[in-house]
Amino acid sequence: MSGYLITIATIVVINAIVVCGLNVIVGYAGQISLGHAAFFGIGAYSAAILATKAGLSFWASLPMVVIISGLVGLLLGLPSLRVKEDFLAITTIGINFIVEAVFLYIPFFGGALGIGGIPRIYLFGLKLKGFSFFLLCLAFLVLVMLACWWFARCWAGLACFALREDEQAAASMGISPVRFKLLAFVVGTAMAGLAGALYAHYMRFISASDFSFPVSITLLSMLVLGGMGKLWAPLLGAAILGALPEIFRPLVEYRILFYTAVLLLMIRFQPSGLLGDDSLARKVLARVVPGGRS
Amino acid sequence: MKQPLLKVEGLRKHFGGLKAVDGVDFQVDRGEILGILGPNGAGKTVCFNMISGIYKPTGGRIFFDRARTDGLPPFRLAAMGLGRTFQIVKPFTSLTVLENVLVARGIAHYGRFRRIWGPWRSKDQVAAAMGILEQVGLAELAGRKAGLLPLGNLRRLEIARAMVVGRKLILLDESFSGLRHGEVSRLEDLIRTIRQMGITVLLIEHNLRVSMKLCDRIVVLDHGRKLAEGTAEQIQSNQQVIEAYLGRRRRKNAAGG
Repeated sequence: MSGYLITIATIVVINAIVVCGLNVIVGYAGQISLGHAAFFGIGAYSAAILATKAGLSFWASLPMVVIISGLVGLLLGLPSLRVKEDFLAITTIGINFIVEAVFLYIPFFGGALGIGGIPRIYLFGLKLKGFSFFLLCLAFLVLVMLACWWFARCWAGLACFALREDEQAAASMGISPVRFKLLAFVVGTAMAGLAGALYAHYMRFISASDFSFPVSITLLSMLVLGGMGKLWAPLLGAAILGALPEIFRPLVEYRILFYTAVLLLMIRFQPSGLLGDDSLARKVLARVVPGGRS
Repeated sequence: MKQPLLKVEGLRKHFGGLKAVDGVDFQVDRGEILGILGPNGAGKTVCFNMISGIYKPTGGRIFFDRARTDGLPPFRLAAMGLGRTFQIVKPFTSLTVLENVLVARGIAHYGRFRRIWGPWRSKDQVAAAMGILEQVGLAELAGRKAGLLPLGNLRRLEIARAMVVGRKLILLDESFSGLRHGEVSRLEDLIRTIRQMGITVLLIEHNLRVSMKLCDRIVVLDHGRKLAEGTAEQIQSNQQVIEAYLGRRRRKNAAGG
């Protein structure tokens, strides 16, 4: 594989991990989040600071990065999950802008210059770059997808599905809305944090604008395109929205316009996403594989 | 002396100046079917919402299974063995009928952090949920998405969920409204079966005839206050109840004639 392709594939896989986290929050628990890039950023900045200022290796800092992201998710989730729907959307946008501003204006986080000189990752004395780094990201994606797969099959996941469908009915069945929404939020932000750490060590230079509000929109677009609440949706969405701008390179200036159009078209014609229950892809699949699982 | 399962004392709920429920007392004994009857806006559903924890009472006290429960959130009351249905049905629409019941079966898991990580689609769980669905007559529709069911089946589904959660008490909020004649009698049988299982039932009903047939005792509410309480015969001959339901024509006629 050429370096160019590997770069795109690596970014797609990292994005897929972030979107997996978003899927837990939005797809499973039904809590709309328009500020997911903030938690991606918190993971990246934690990893960058632990690597450059504390001199820790990727492996030593990784558990801390995941815990920090999850804890900040818990902290920011507490006030925001008490509001619903439109208000939650606005609150999460606010979180995104505040987190970005903190990175941008507090000197500890490198200000406008960002943080550079982030070391590469070593595994068994091997320096990971190019294809080997891609394999590392892929391994983490597999782990994250396994975690999502399990989450959808355990009682905590079922409780989140119930909350998504009807909060009052769920509460009358012993499900604490605040507790399970927070759980989904913490799991989702921890996954974003993990992806952030990979991103920081891959780019080796990060700045606040990497995690701005438009990034959150892109992440949400990937999820909506793939199909909210579906296991493979994050990877599919990240792959399509990651590859298309490369294919249509001359149109890159219009990328945001393109995303918006895709989002609107999906909402109008395929509201449950490409992998959704009543989507075109599933209908075709059902015809090709009769009796196959929907 | 026999302890009541549910006791409500001086229960009040005010929304601004509106006194939706204004000093209501009643109790539900273990194993009985108690009906709450009353015209629209009498405060029946508000009473239910306070008992099940959705509203905090403005005043008064609620005792469920000997513990004081007014002001507790709904999920805690559910964990104590109180199940309920909703007047406007609230199915988990994109989940299947079976999954809807499995959500209710999770009541044994949701309270403990370590127990929420176990799988919910195990053989035992599915078998138990299917058992409940057979009881309410929805077993054949187990794999159907709940959002596709007609109202009568949705009411049964809600009762199925309430039966799993309500180990001690089930609140049924107008479960008969909007049902066809055949469905009504089947639902009556189901409620009697629930009582035979040793579960106490408190139901709100609009339909006089149904509640007269089904309930051991009836409490009549009107304008947020208790109008009458007693057996079906006592209620039927109660002058105040007749007035609340039929208006004051009789007395007018009497005065005119």
